[in-house]
Amino acid sequence: MAESDPINAPSPVGENKPRIDGREKVTGAAIFADDLQFGNALLYARIKRSPHPHALIKRLDISKARALPGVKAVVTGEDFTGYIGLYLQDRYIFCRDRVRYVGDPVAGVAAISDEIAYQALELIDVEYEVLEPVLDPEFGASSQALLLHPDLGKYVVANFIFPKEGTNVSNHFKIRRGDVDGAWDKCAAVIERKYRIPHIQHVPIEPHVAIAKMDEAGEITLWASSQSPFAQRNLIAQAIGVLPGKLRVIAPLVGGGFGGKAGVSMEALAVAIATKVKGRPVKLLLTREEEFYTAFVRQGLVAYFKMGCDEKGHLMAMENKFYWDGGAYTEYGVNITRAAGYSSSGPYEVPNVKTDSYCVYTNHPVGGPMRGFGMPEMHAGLEQCIDELAQQIGMDAVEFRKINCLKTGSTLVTGSKMHPTGLLQCIEKTAEAIGWDKKTPPSAPNKRRGKGLALMWKAPAMPPNAGSSAWVELVEDGTLNVGIGGQDIGQGVFTVAAQMAAAALGVPYESVRIATPVDTRYSPYEWQTVASRLTWSMGNAVVNAARDARQQILTTVAEAWEESLEDLDIVDGVVISYKSEKEIPLKNLVIYGLPKPDGQGWRGGPVVGRGNFMPTYITGLDKETGQGEQAVVHYTTGAQAVELEVDLDTGRIEILRGVSTYDVGKAINPEFVKAQMDGGFVQGMSSALFENLQLSNGVVQNPSFVDYRIATTTDAPKDLQSFIVEVPQDDGPWGARGIGEHSMVPTIPAIANAIYNAIGIRFEGPPFTAEKVYLAMLDAGMIK
Amino acid sequence: MAINTHPTLPEFDYFRPETLIEASDFLVHHATDARPFLGGTDVFVRMRDGLLSPKFLVDVKSLPGMNDLRFDPLSGLIIGAAVNMNRVIASSEVQQHYPLLADACRSVASYQLRTRATIIGNICNASPAGDTLGASLAFEGVLHIHGSDGVRRESLTDFFLGPGKTKLKTGDVAFALHLPSPPPGSIGIYLKLGRNKLSDLSIVGVTAFGYPEPAALSGYRFRLILASVAPVPFVAKEAEAYLSNTPITSDSIYAAACLAAEACTPIDDVRGSVRYRKQMVKNLAARALSEIWEKLKK
Amino acid sequence: MAFHKINVIVNGKDEQVMVSSNMTLMRMLRECLALTGTKNGCSAGECGSCTVLINGEPVNSCMVLAAECDGAEIVTVEGLAGDKQLDPIQETIIEAGGVQCGFCTPGILISSRALLNRNPNPSEDEIREALVGNLCRCTGYLRIIESVKAAARR
Repeated sequence: MAESDPINAPSPVGENKPRIDGREKVTGAAIFADDLQFGNALLYARIKRSPHPHALIKRLDISKARALPGVKAVVTGEDFTGYIGLYLQDRYIFCRDRVRYVGDPVAGVAAISDEIAYQALELIDVEYEVLEPVLDPEFGASSQALLLHPDLGKYVVANFIFPKEGTNVSNHFKIRRGDVDGAWDKCAAVIERKYRIPHIQHVPIEPHVAIAKMDEAGEITLWASSQSPFAQRNLIAQAIGVLPGKLRVIAPLVGGGFGGKAGVSMEALAVAIATKVKGRPVKLLLTREEEFYTAFVRQGLVAYFKMGCDEKGHLMAMENKFYWDGGAYTEYGVNITRAAGYSSSGPYEVPNVKTDSYCVYTNHPVGGPMRGFGMPEMHAGLEQCIDELAQQIGMDAVEFRKINCLKTGSTLVTGSKMHPTGLLQCIEKTAEAIGWDKKTPPSAPNKRRGKGLALMWKAPAMPPNAGSSAWVELVEDGTLNVGIGGQDIGQGVFTVAAQMAAAALGVPYESVRIATPVDTRYSPYEWQTVASRLTWSMGNAVVNAARDARQQILTTVAEAWEESLEDLDIVDGVVISYKSEKEIPLKNLVIYGLPKPDGQGWRGGPVVGRGNFMPTYITGLDKETGQGEQAVVHYTTGAQAVELEVDLDTGRIEILRGVSTYDVGKAINPEFVKAQMDGGFVQGMSSALFENLQLSNGVVQNPSFVDYRIATTTDAPKDLQSFIVEVPQDDGPWGARGIGEHSMVPTIPAIANAIYNAIGIRFEGPPFTAEKVYLAMLDAGMIK
Repeated sequence: MAINTHPTLPEFDYFRPETLIEASDFLVHHATDARPFLGGTDVFVRMRDGLLSPKFLVDVKSLPGMNDLRFDPLSGLIIGAAVNMNRVIASSEVQQHYPLLADACRSVASYQLRTRATIIGNICNASPAGDTLGASLAFEGVLHIHGSDGVRRESLTDFFLGPGKTKLKTGDVAFALHLPSPPPGSIGIYLKLGRNKLSDLSIVGVTAFGYPEPAALSGYRFRLILASVAPVPFVAKEAEAYLSNTPITSDSIYAAACLAAEACTPIDDVRGSVRYRKQMVKNLAARALSEIWEKLKK
Repeated sequence: MAFHKINVIVNGKDEQVMVSSNMTLMRMLRECLALTGTKNGCSAGECGSCTVLINGEPVNSCMVLAAECDGAEIVTVEGLAGDKQLDPIQETIIEAGGVQCGFCTPGILISSRALLNRNPNPSEDEIREALVGNLCRCTGYLRIIESVKAAARR
């Protein structure tokens, strides 16, 4: 396996260091946003929300609520006129004239207790004129649907997003590559399928929480469970009409994010209310029910696939139409539409591709970034079509993928070239580990057993100039404080950053502290903790900052010892010369410098290293063809396989084994990488078997853990194997690239392919609930 | 609408009576403003959702006898109302003489919830999905109730009137469940189908219980009680009668299961459809009856 | 609304607290005693992140009234280690990689400790069953299960 050739890295990179935040988390000392103490100045916020999926606000009377003793503020859309949004500014903080989903905020209350705030909501009178809701993205894109955003053409929008004025389509991304229409005749097999992927949700165990306070000078502080302190600073400040510097965001530990705490959602509500209650902090903690109703959801998708291959199994053409159910506001979701568009070939080389990816407004909850950012939804159908195509020409599904999968130098659907990748190794390792060629008999007469495999690819989806920065400050005792703007949401980035700083500077891992909580006043800028970008992007910044500090230290010592830099090194916190064998520990020198000889003064001084990283080579894509030289920074690729059994009496699926292999470039902490693979597999499995935000006329029918089921301990498979392939990323720290999202991308199709292998049935979409599977078997005549 | 769920519990007064008489008097005096509670696992949830808003919650857990769990070979098992499900599961007497009841308790929610959940609470809450109701009915349970007229007994057989509705009146405090000694040689099983492997509410729950009965034509009597397929725990009477009168074979077991599936009246809801539930009654009843038949016929 | 003065022993210390009738044990711990290790994930008895021990048994503290706890002994994650540096389960869960975001961790630790107290050598199935009421979204559970097995051996 010549392709996996990891870069040799200095300790502790590549080592399984224990979590830097482990002890505080197991002792209960770890502080999450709801644990912060504000004393009896704290006010409690609650939000009045629309009960209708689509309506005009005719009348809003807050006078009785305002008069209730204990209520300190009641705010509405009249108080805040600014739009807010990441890629497209299409949302008000509080609705002004129209509500667009059940849960849309109409008013906010701050009171001295949660109970009084709750009572105040009951006293707010709202009169609505109910409008016909749009409940399906294909319908929403048609000319018969009411316009949800008549002002779409006037919204401020990023220059790589293309809304269609006068429609509900907030982004239309196109790929026009080669000659798709002419290619079908040359195909030996063609598959055409439609898939419908339902809405699901992040379901972090910690609900969203935000506390905001405006002081007498108008400076605002926001404490939030947040993946995006800097984006929240920027977007919320803009929306309420203040300079970003006036809004300070402090982000304690996050109890699970998965994308749901990225961008801006409920945080803006807390800030808005706080601006009306000078001097007092206002806390908004979503109930679990509000999480299910009103927080970001994963967009739904109606996907049409058509793909064909020649008789040797070479993919010839793909034609895709994606209708994304973006929900009421698509300020973030428009980029999911784009990302799916430029990834719409799957991890394969296909010479002719035509894709239309539409982001459509509907009166459903707000679609936002969720682990995978469009990739799980798209691969769910695409990887099943690949299996079907292989089957049609009589080729093994793994062989078919090995022929077509991306290799170093392959031409991509955007016309760019694939960088070095270990995807082929991932396929081979996964197939071998699942025992692809072996058929195991079912465990009982009423079971059927099957195996399935799926591939994935994903690039970090971000603007072309998403940046990271870091600082490294030395302490008298020779330890390091490392400043970063990225958040540990469980993935372990604080630990990994410490490992990288330690390696780049030359100190033990135990000498590094990460300056937390992330605080936009003191922490260096980080675009967002999303896109599986931190190890790569923030890692580069951390390494640059550590090397900058190292350079300062060595320059001082080189001068003092009259030696050249090349002969000096820092090892285990000690500066050494390979030439003279002199040594000096870092402590003291890194603050006070070194004395010159004969009392002539001092040299050096406090060492603060700084570094940043921003990709400078993204070229953008043509608006009509989606072609460009380098559309994205890089791709992480991988493969997953499952072995499962179907119970013929109940339809229930049991996942017996799972195997995952991903090319991560360089595993800075291999156990953490595997932990992401395990966790992503189970979350992917949960989305495949259980999860569905059931919407009926725009109303969530299952807004609680009772009826929105997620995987529990008893559902996790007995046997999960996770393998790492390392084909270095040319501009990642020691070759590293991301893994956080990728591990849940291929799970739905891997399971779907395995179900087909077991019982010969496919479904229009997940979840593959016991009921769905059983009734399909019944209707197919497989059981009586 | 659950979007307006209270962030925490709404306001009420907590009252802990010292005697059953005090409890019943208080409940009568305050009528619909007061509600007794044991583990609270149903009451608190409904209060948060705004479905219940009592001014008084009456904690009856420490009343005399509420914590008793005792067995006598002649008279049977007495379970005090406050005895939590984990205690029932762990009791060696329950495991020996009423294993079906322990199995039913084990299927409920989670260990933490079972530290609070009680069988009597499950019964009084009268959800058709109640996991312990089938076993309690199969063992011919009798509820001991203290009300404004003093103590009375209610057989569980006609106790359930509808979802959440029972024969309990204002002032009533159910303080014990009596399960007579089970018939000799009895075997029982509870099969529960949820969406997850464990911890879910039932989409369908099947309690099957059988014992040798010389007076029956088949030589055996079976009880078949279904959860989540009717407004109350559903006793599949036709299936039961059929199995008393027909020689027990795999065919007659299947036929009985079909009778049960036919007779029950599930609804379409967020957990499952009518069609699927009826299919599952058929399959799981057949499986349950087969499994206990294997043990009975030995 | 009535208020009650209750006496509880929390993590081995005597406490006297004034609580309203409708205050849950979870809120009492977090708001009156500043023990924020116990987490609020759903307030409905579903997620298990509020799990504490009452008289040695694990409960969802969001489903218990503080007023019911007069005279009870409560153990939260802050008191899990007792006199030791760390309880074995606290050590093994870090070592095995069973902690990611950490929000479910206190509840997981309490449920695991309660399991090991009543069943010092649990099988894999027994561990899964005992922890089914503790939801985790990050780890996928397998490393948590391994950490309980490792703690049993310690």
